Amino acid sequence: MRERDVAIAGCGVISAVGRGVEALRAALKNNTSGLRPDERFAGPRFQTNIVGAAALEANHHNPAHALASFALREAIAATELRVREQPLTPSLSPADGERVAARPGEGNQDVRPPLTSLLASSIAPERIGLVLSTTKANIEALEGLSDGRPCSDSARRHLQPDRLAADLAAEFGARGPVQTISVACVSGLIALMQGAKLIQRGAADAVLVVGVDHLSAFVLAGFTALKALDPIGCRPFDRDRCGLSPGEAGAAIMLVRGDLAPRPAITIRGWGSSNDANHMTGPSRDGAGLTQAIRAALNAAQLHADQIDYVNAHGTGTPYNDAMESAALRTVFGGTCPPVSGLKGMLGHTLGAAGIIETLACVLAMQERLLPGTPRLSHAADDTPLSLVKTPRAVTKLNHILKLNTGFGGMNGALILNFPA
Amino acid sequence: MSSPSVTNTNTVTESDVTTARLGPRFGRMDLASQLALLAVEPFAAHFDLAPRERIAICLAAGVGSLSTDAEYWKGRAAAGGPSPTLFTYTLPSAAIGEIAIRHRLTGPGLCFVGGGDELLAEASDLIKRGEADGCVCVFANVISPALAEMISAAPAASAHAFFVRRGEPSIPNLGTAEPAPRS
Repeated sequence: MRERDVAIAGCGVISAVGRGVEALRAALKNNTSGLRPDERFAGPRFQTNIVGAAALEANHHNPAHALASFALREAIAATELRVREQPLTPSLSPADGERVAARPGEGNQDVRPPLTSLLASSIAPERIGLVLSTTKANIEALEGLSDGRPCSDSARRHLQPDRLAADLAAEFGARGPVQTISVACVSGLIALMQGAKLIQRGAADAVLVVGVDHLSAFVLAGFTALKALDPIGCRPFDRDRCGLSPGEAGAAIMLVRGDLAPRPAITIRGWGSSNDANHMTGPSRDGAGLTQAIRAALNAAQLHADQIDYVNAHGTGTPYNDAMESAALRTVFGGTCPPVSGLKGMLGHTLGAAGIIETLACVLAMQERLLPGTPRLSHAADDTPLSLVKTPRAVTKLNHILKLNTGFGGMNGALILNFPA
Repeated sequence: MSSPSVTNTNTVTESDVTTARLGPRFGRMDLASQLALLAVEPFAAHFDLAPRERIAICLAAGVGSLSTDAEYWKGRAAAGGPSPTLFTYTLPSAAIGEIAIRHRLTGPGLCFVGGGDELLAEASDLIKRGEADGCVCVFANVISPALAEMISAAPAASAHAFFVRRGEPSIPNLGTAEPAPRS
């Protein structure tokens, strides 16, 4: 592995399918959906109350921080990172009455070995960066302040995404570069790209990339106004699909300089992004922008299209998005599209966390040599790829995965993962 | 490779918006997008110097979209709920979409929340890596009076833009600049 390869060293997650990487791994194997009715969003104000809620305590006043913290703790523990003078330990002191999420391993005796081991490495805190991906940060505080509810200083502070990033970096000992990325639903992939760039240009040796967005009346009201929600829960690529389902998650991936990760390691091989330059909320019908992003990623990764083993789609379940993605895949892969599936029927659309948690799922898929299914898909639409994967299946080879996301403002992102084993 | 070339910065404020007319969409945008669009306008001639898919957009949104968020949420009690049009702009990166649509820029996009310190370095990096041949950079910061009270900050409404492209000293009105030193 070249020194400036960027490897994935540890992951952490909390989502609609449970707490921790092992819960997500089980959900992938069982094709589970975490979408449920949520009483907080019942009533005529919202198009539906079927959402992907994570296991946080009800009415948490700083859900963005809680979700991100949980994911970071697990990712760091999995990485077994050591700094020169002291172990890298998360804050254990609740602030402002916040409930500390369970530490990884607590209550779960069947803890799988970490993704990779860095026991022989030490990375100085000044060489550890943090990139936060979020669209709304702690928007709960805006709702609370507007309704006259009490709001802690930290919850108010974390209304501002860059302050949430700064506090997470301080809390978890990342004293290197800190960036806050917010590019709609492509934020997660862009954040991973930024983390990789920081390592490749020598600004950091490790970067914690964390994505977070929490369920909120703010977001549900907006999607309701756009009539963009599926009343019975999203059904990506289904012929009867009619909208998305909001979700929430905290997901973290620790990226490290390639030479610090033992072999074989899963690496970020290339990426690309583009803009449709067409419409603020609707994708271009022909998928030209996403096609451009995919080709840029393939070019950067020095791969041909036929070397992609699996595509993890954005797959929101809206009529236009899924049709656009299918069109882009046809353009890039022609009649030989690799297996494709989408996970928003499992997790909901987690906005700023989507790119991170869905990439994390791809990492698990590589580990397990498992093609993820498409939860809640019943009957594939006519224009979807024939290689659409409905239920999970084992494969012998999963070396190159292409991850896609698209977002408001015409943004498109494509990321390629590599696993040589 | 020679250092990227960078133009002078164009700065606009809210008073510039009130007299501006930049197409039929302009009046429906939020203030941050209007400011960003206006700040970028003088550099449109530079966009012809490369294919549109090779021009990137780098945006720094000072406090994100919080001013628009507050305005959007104020409308929650209205019949039919808050404005769907305004919801479109409750993303820090909304101005990227408007810039891309107006100037048909289909290249990469980046949006940071916070100050604009990273813009030149990130734009230069995009160009050096070969992901783009030019990059329009914008720092837009809008803190409405309502938001100012909420986050204990001073009201603000301005945008600053500049354009970066592969080093070509013969291009008029360009200086040369090294990327900001890494922290």
